[in-house]
Amino acid sequence: MKNLKILSITLIIFLFANTSIFSQSVTGLQVVENVYNRPVGEDMTADLTMTLINSSGKERVRTIKQFSRDFGEIEKKIMFFVKPADVKNTSFMTWGYDEEGKDDDQWIYLPALKKTKRISSDSKSDYFMGSDFTYDDLGDRHPTQDTHTILREEELNGEACYVVESIPKDEDYMYSKTITWIIKDKWIGLKKDFYDEDEDLLKTLTVEKYEDIKGFLIISHTEMKNVQKNHKTIMELKNIEINTGISKSKFTERIMTRGI
Amino acid sequence: MRKIFLIMLITFSYSIFAQSVDFSGYVRNYPGMLVGNGSNDFVILQNTFNLNIEKSFDNSSFKVNPMIYHNYSDSLYFRLREAYIDLYFDNFDLRVGKQQIVWGKADGVFITDIVSPKDLFEFLLPEFDEIRIGVEGAKFNYYVGNNTFEIVWLPVFTPTKFAAPNSVWAVTPTFPITPTFDRSKLRVQSSLENSELFLKYSALTEYIDYEIMGGYMWDDDPTMFSSFVPDSAGSMNLVISPEHKRLSLVGGSFSTTLGPLVVRGESAFYFGKYFNTNNPTINQGVVQKDYIHYMVGTDFNLFDVNFSMQFIQKVIMDYEDIIVSNQLFNGEYSNMMTFLARYSMLNETLDLELFSYYDFEFDDALIRPRMLYDFSDTINLQFGANIFTGTEGMFGQYNKNDMIYGKIIYSF
Repeated sequence: MKNLKILSITLIIFLFANTSIFSQSVTGLQVVENVYNRPVGEDMTADLTMTLINSSGKERVRTIKQFSRDFGEIEKKIMFFVKPADVKNTSFMTWGYDEEGKDDDQWIYLPALKKTKRISSDSKSDYFMGSDFTYDDLGDRHPTQDTHTILREEELNGEACYVVESIPKDEDYMYSKTITWIIKDKWIGLKKDFYDEDEDLLKTLTVEKYEDIKGFLIISHTEMKNVQKNHKTIMELKNIEINTGISKSKFTERIMTRGI
Repeated sequence: MRKIFLIMLITFSYSIFAQSVDFSGYVRNYPGMLVGNGSNDFVILQNTFNLNIEKSFDNSSFKVNPMIYHNYSDSLYFRLREAYIDLYFDNFDLRVGKQQIVWGKADGVFITDIVSPKDLFEFLLPEFDEIRIGVEGAKFNYYVGNNTFEIVWLPVFTPTKFAAPNSVWAVTPTFPITPTFDRSKLRVQSSLENSELFLKYSALTEYIDYEIMGGYMWDDDPTMFSSFVPDSAGSMNLVISPEHKRLSLVGGSFSTTLGPLVVRGESAFYFGKYFNTNNPTINQGVVQKDYIHYMVGTDFNLFDVNFSMQFIQKVIMDYEDIIVSNQLFNGEYSNMMTFLARYSMLNETLDLELFSYYDFEFDDALIRPRMLYDFSDTINLQFGANIFTGTEGMFGQYNKNDMIYGKIIYSF
């Protein structure tokens, strides 16, 4: 089995809530906090397709069915792998906590071994399933972990954006900085550049599509390109359902082992 | 008659396909060559077809998992690994049929993971899902949140399967004089009073996962009872009567995280296992003792390499020096460890792995370096070696079986 850990695959990374902030007074931290705090519904079901494309254009495809629900202080997610065939019926479950400093709990069910294993959530710099997304890229990085500065305001793909530079407070973090283009009136991160420890451009994330579902803006198509390796990952969410009332019993070992 | 059968078969097949039964599995080519005895013999030239046939409904499902092994001698070995039906209710599930059951938190060792016996046709070299034998029975699971109460009832006893006598993995027991064997008591009749029962309570929580279990079963490995029987010339012959005996155990396991570490433990207390002694004239050459089997281990990541280490110990209680050592028990204390390192590269298309068992008592080991490459989403290539060190013990006994092998696996 690959080096896998459960994580946020919501793709709702750069959304916002509060639209009452005026551009004249907004700070970099406020912009990113509004992206971070944007309401995204209590629960979500979706089919995720992840296409990995290497430098010679060869594609590998991973398909995942995922469920998530916010229980207040705990957010629970469960994922079932559909493709490729050798990881079919593998499932992951994660419980993420609002409590500061409390690590996520994560489990993986390996159908060949018929075993549910607890795994560490420590390696956030690991890449998810061979993609160009690290676990941290896919999760909710708290705004207070970085220092944010608005560099300028400019238009991207016809949308007025803040361009925000974020420098991690932890000097050992895997990126030296990120620069994000955040849509002013929608508070969606439309593009994000990741810089490596030598401050060279490493990866670029672009949002290709976002949808309004039950009043929530959901990013449904993103691409992450590693410009140093010339490797690309396309993530697409389909059949997205919001606030369907997913039962809490969905997020149990029973369902991990039984499957979708 | 044939026509009727054919029509029935076609009708059945069509109805199966029409209901979208899910087919998955793999085809595997697996050559392995001995390099330890200078022979360069291809002891493994194997083609395997593994088919999972599954169908899920709202409140039920079924799975049938046949496996066919084709060997170089043109022999076919058919295994029905699993064939069961699941029934789902609000708070409980019932699974009936042939099924593999896996308990415990240890990897590569069997402490509380004793419901499904082992098929040692190639020692411990196959993948663990191939080592385990499906057992015929019923499993009842009752759920309260993330707490599970499990009852397993097996009306049919399935013993350990050992390698064929002509296999390089065959183990020949040694006796002070050449015995004759009386296998009349070896088979355990399938009856209600001979059934096996296992209970488990498990919980998955924020802080720790744990299991508490117990079992009333048969010892998967037969006890070798000895007796002396006079022959027609009046000489006394040593007669060995292999017989499975009842065995009980209680145990438990846990798994938790401590910062970047996953810490695991597992332990079982076995009641009344028979051990062979060095005096076949007393008490049929056996003595009954309790023993403890436990493991502590950790998993962690360092420099992008995933590591896993386990220490395993067996302790025979109220030990007596007359107990004969064997591959599994070497004296009062038997100490072993396992080590796993795995590094993924090229966007997880290439994995380098090293897995090893080391036995402190016999100073023997099995070292298994392996390279795995995903040629595509469906084709996986493997190349590896099995290196046995030492001269005695579970691994040292195979010191002439060092092997290199390759595998091509097509998954569908």
